[in-house]
Amino acid sequence: MPTSFIPTAADLLRLSPDIVLTAGGALMMVIEPLTGAARKARMAAIAVLLIAAAMALSVMAYSDPGTSFSGMLVVDGFSTFFRILVYGCGLLTVLMSVDYFKRERGSESGEYYALIVFSLVGQSLMASANELVLLFIGLEISSIAGYIMAGYLRDDKRNNESALKYFLLGSFATAFMLYGVAWIYGLTGSTNLDTVRRAILGGAMEQSGQMLMIATALMFVGFAFKISAAPFHVWAPDVYQGAPAPVAAFLSAGAKAAAFAMLVRVAASAFFPLSAKWEMLLWATALATMIVGNFAALRQSNIKRMLAYSSVAHAGYILVAVTAHSEVGIAAVMFYLASYVLMTIGVFAVVTLVASKGERFVEIDDFSGLVQRQPMLAIALTIFLFSLIGIPLTGGFFAKFYVFKAALDSNLTWLTILGLLNSAAAAFYYLRVLVVMYMKPAAEGAGPVDPAGIGIKAAIVASAVGTLYLGVYPSAVLDFAGKAAQLVK
Amino acid sequence: MPPELTQLLPASVPLSWYLVLSAILFSLGIAGFLFRRNIITVFMSIELMLNAVNLTFVAFSYHLKQVDGHIFSFFVMVVAAAEAAVGLAIILTVFKNRATLEIDEVSSMKL
Amino acid sequence: MGDNLLSLILCTPLIGVLVLLFIPGTMKNAIRWWANISAVAGFLVSLPLIMNFDKSLDGYQFVERINWIPALGVQYLIGVDGISVLMVMLTTFMGMLAIFSSWDSINDKVKEYYAMFLLQQVGMIGVFISLDFMLFYVFWELVLVPMYFIIGVWGGPRKLYAAIKFFLYTLAGGVLMLLGIITLYLQHIAQTGVATFEITQLMNTQMPMWMEQLVFWSFFLGFAIKVPMFPFHTWLPDAHTEAPTAGSVILAAVLLKMGTYGFIRFSLPLLPNASADRTIVNVLVVLSLIGIIYGALVSLMQQDWKKLVAYSSVSHLGFCTLGIFALNEQGIAGSVIQQINHGISTGMLFLIVGVIYERRHTREIKEYGGLAHVMPNYAVVFAFAMLSSAGLPLLNGFIGEFTILQAAFQANMAWGAFAVTGVIFGAAYLLWLYQRTMLGEVTNEKNKGLKDLNWKEWVVFVPLMAWAIAIGVYPKPYFDILEKPVAAIVERVNGPKAPVNAAVIELKKTEAR
Repeated sequence: MPTSFIPTAADLLRLSPDIVLTAGGALMMVIEPLTGAARKARMAAIAVLLIAAAMALSVMAYSDPGTSFSGMLVVDGFSTFFRILVYGCGLLTVLMSVDYFKRERGSESGEYYALIVFSLVGQSLMASANELVLLFIGLEISSIAGYIMAGYLRDDKRNNESALKYFLLGSFATAFMLYGVAWIYGLTGSTNLDTVRRAILGGAMEQSGQMLMIATALMFVGFAFKISAAPFHVWAPDVYQGAPAPVAAFLSAGAKAAAFAMLVRVAASAFFPLSAKWEMLLWATALATMIVGNFAALRQSNIKRMLAYSSVAHAGYILVAVTAHSEVGIAAVMFYLASYVLMTIGVFAVVTLVASKGERFVEIDDFSGLVQRQPMLAIALTIFLFSLIGIPLTGGFFAKFYVFKAALDSNLTWLTILGLLNSAAAAFYYLRVLVVMYMKPAAEGAGPVDPAGIGIKAAIVASAVGTLYLGVYPSAVLDFAGKAAQLVK
Repeated sequence: MPPELTQLLPASVPLSWYLVLSAILFSLGIAGFLFRRNIITVFMSIELMLNAVNLTFVAFSYHLKQVDGHIFSFFVMVVAAAEAAVGLAIILTVFKNRATLEIDEVSSMKL
Repeated sequence: MGDNLLSLILCTPLIGVLVLLFIPGTMKNAIRWWANISAVAGFLVSLPLIMNFDKSLDGYQFVERINWIPALGVQYLIGVDGISVLMVMLTTFMGMLAIFSSWDSINDKVKEYYAMFLLQQVGMIGVFISLDFMLFYVFWELVLVPMYFIIGVWGGPRKLYAAIKFFLYTLAGGVLMLLGIITLYLQHIAQTGVATFEITQLMNTQMPMWMEQLVFWSFFLGFAIKVPMFPFHTWLPDAHTEAPTAGSVILAAVLLKMGTYGFIRFSLPLLPNASADRTIVNVLVVLSLIGIIYGALVSLMQQDWKKLVAYSSVSHLGFCTLGIFALNEQGIAGSVIQQINHGISTGMLFLIVGVIYERRHTREIKEYGGLAHVMPNYAVVFAFAMLSSAGLPLLNGFIGEFTILQAAFQANMAWGAFAVTGVIFGAAYLLWLYQRTMLGEVTNEKNKGLKDLNWKEWVVFVPLMAWAIAIGVYPKPYFDILEKPVAAIVERVNGPKAPVNAAVIELKKTEAR
């Protein structure tokens, strides 16, 4: 126990990205009503600045890694990686949202950007929390902001429905996780991940092994909801289909990355002694998630819904790496999520543009002849789809390669074979989009796609460049992930 | 209370009783979430689950002679309040757009 | 040049693509000119490769090595031995002719078409020169993309079905091959602590038999689907039938060879014990024999000219895999030569179908008949291609088939006997096709006014015919260049005790001539 409750400079530095985002977000809420309608665009600029500042601060904080606030928070390679990842995701979402809301509402709205900023605070806490209750608080900060964003266009029925479903199922899942946390607290006397781990190693397993397993299983249900693992994925298609396209991008990329960060940290630190018992559960969940995601995606005609199922399938591939419960596995999760975030944001950004006002064109057939209507957009979408399939020279290829390498390293031969077959089958539904885009003429009445604003263009270009970078020169990220994975334990 | 009766009861309520009670409340919450059709009731079921969690936290905290659990339950309450604020707002917009609170009728998207 | 010759060969088509992107899509002739210049340049820069290649040396030549992904041990490591030199030459040569043959037939999205074709060249050359397994795999998968678009955008009526089927089949094979690659790689790390995909280093990996077999089957799925071996051949007729002519030519002449090349370069040297395992050899040989006979029989049944040629590919590729798994020197050398021969003859056959399809827009055999009267030159070229494909002595097909048959008889009389029936059926379906289309009276009015070959078509056919005769008359250089690498592979698979009797081989070669 610390003798003084006054935080040290190091404590504050390690929390500084979250402090900056929280203060900045609150400030945005205060000045939002005071800015005239014409100046609302500046709110997006403020959000971009805030997120950039948070990125810079998290890099600075990493120069002096360690725990802060009596072990509540930990800054290490892993948390820094995920902080940067979710901030990057937030940044791209802000960029693609500017045009979207101008198009859908005729004006921009400042509080939307504040919500993104708040959500990022939560996600960043999820990535860096070393304590179950802080983890819960981070999750809730991120989720509550997400509930509002999913229903942001109040008058749109699909938005309402999306928000309602996300809210109800999200809080339901949180309750499960929290109940698990309460039991862990009771059985081990602490919620600090390191203390819990020591307690499990030091006899809690013998005394109350069964209760411990139930508690971890309850927590796992909560996590499974958040990462949309089968059979707890049912909310994902409805939410992603109904939410505004940029929000769907944000939820399926950033929120999922943060949820995986949370799952991996808990599984690799506090519950690492239980990993042998978790393996079967994770094995089955990974397989079920891949299969359910891919086979449901095959039957979709709405592209947002298809992408939702595809994101379920990708969660399955990532779970394969989690199942490996090794350092290589953790590094694979990190690399996979980095490339997943880029390709998901990119693909949703293209969907946002093609969908046009009111999101009218969200069927896969609405993409027909896109290559004639908007060649550059079609090429960008091609890059993202190839990355989702896992074709070499895109990030998705090395991500899959790394995941399955980790799995084989842990002797998960069957899971690897089934995973590889799944990834081949998945190519079918991505190919359908490519087929209509390149090989079918444009449908009657499908006008030219609205000219893209600078923000969304920047988001698409950045995601495409990032995807290709990870595919051509993955070394830098791989090395960092490899080093960061060792720090978790 | 007559002296005979106090002898029958234990000196204090044992931990397990609280835990069983919270488990029952939690299960009721799950059941309500799964089987009720009114959105408000579904929402209240979630609140019930969170309160079951609070009870567990407090009971364990008392048993372990720590204050941590008590503090956690405050966090949970704060978060639950925030959730309720957002949740009720969402439910309100749904009602405004559809004039129904039946959860089965809120399904414009295909499964 | 000199040190970076292979990179130059690899990059020439790529540079062509990059320049192509800056030519406006409306300037179709400029695009055509530039694409052809790039393809010819691609062939010309590959000439020094064969001229400077020293066939008396063991191992790889023109090696270039750059670290690509140090974390995983992936290198940009390229080099050639006798086998790859021939495949690279085949690729640049056929690519050049295929691109030229598209001059008149492609009028829609010309720029994209040529860009895809040149990209395809890059991928195929990359496959044949990679000495790093990961680099190989990257090129292997990349080849899928241009061919998918070539079939899907410029293909026939059922192009979507064919393109998706092609993509999914080969992708599925590819990902299963990845399983084997990773297993081998991890095993190598476990034994030596070195993370590498370099083929020569991976050869030192010791694996228990079951693991070696697992890896073998995983490679097998990848390569066999590409070849394609029976029963994985079903994508091929669809892809061939729907692809534009030049696409079919490249598909048959080069792309399928990636599979057989994979067996020779990876399966045999990396997994010598599994490759020599009796069960595995028997399965592979039986599948090859089924492929030979089944392909020929199905060809006999075809009503569609192009589909007939497509199925004949299944039969011919069966010879190639049979030769490989005879596991002796004639077999493997014969297989490589047969791969080149198949590239030439089947490439010609597809071009011949393309010529008539350009004029009549149908491939139904019964629509034709007596074409020899209207298009005499065409009939001569077709006769030439048919005889080359059927294996007439003094033409290229004979050398390959004969050497493979010899190898098969040497390994097992029964294999040889079955394979011979394939040759007979092969002659049958080709002759019958020729009779139905070229001979007799002109029955269909529409065929009366057909024009004979124009100069552009001659330009494509003449070099192919010249090469076919060259191989048929004087195959020695090919056997010479293959001698060292093939001997190394055979020694690796059968162990040093296997008879490496140079005199015997020399004798067979003389006989083959």
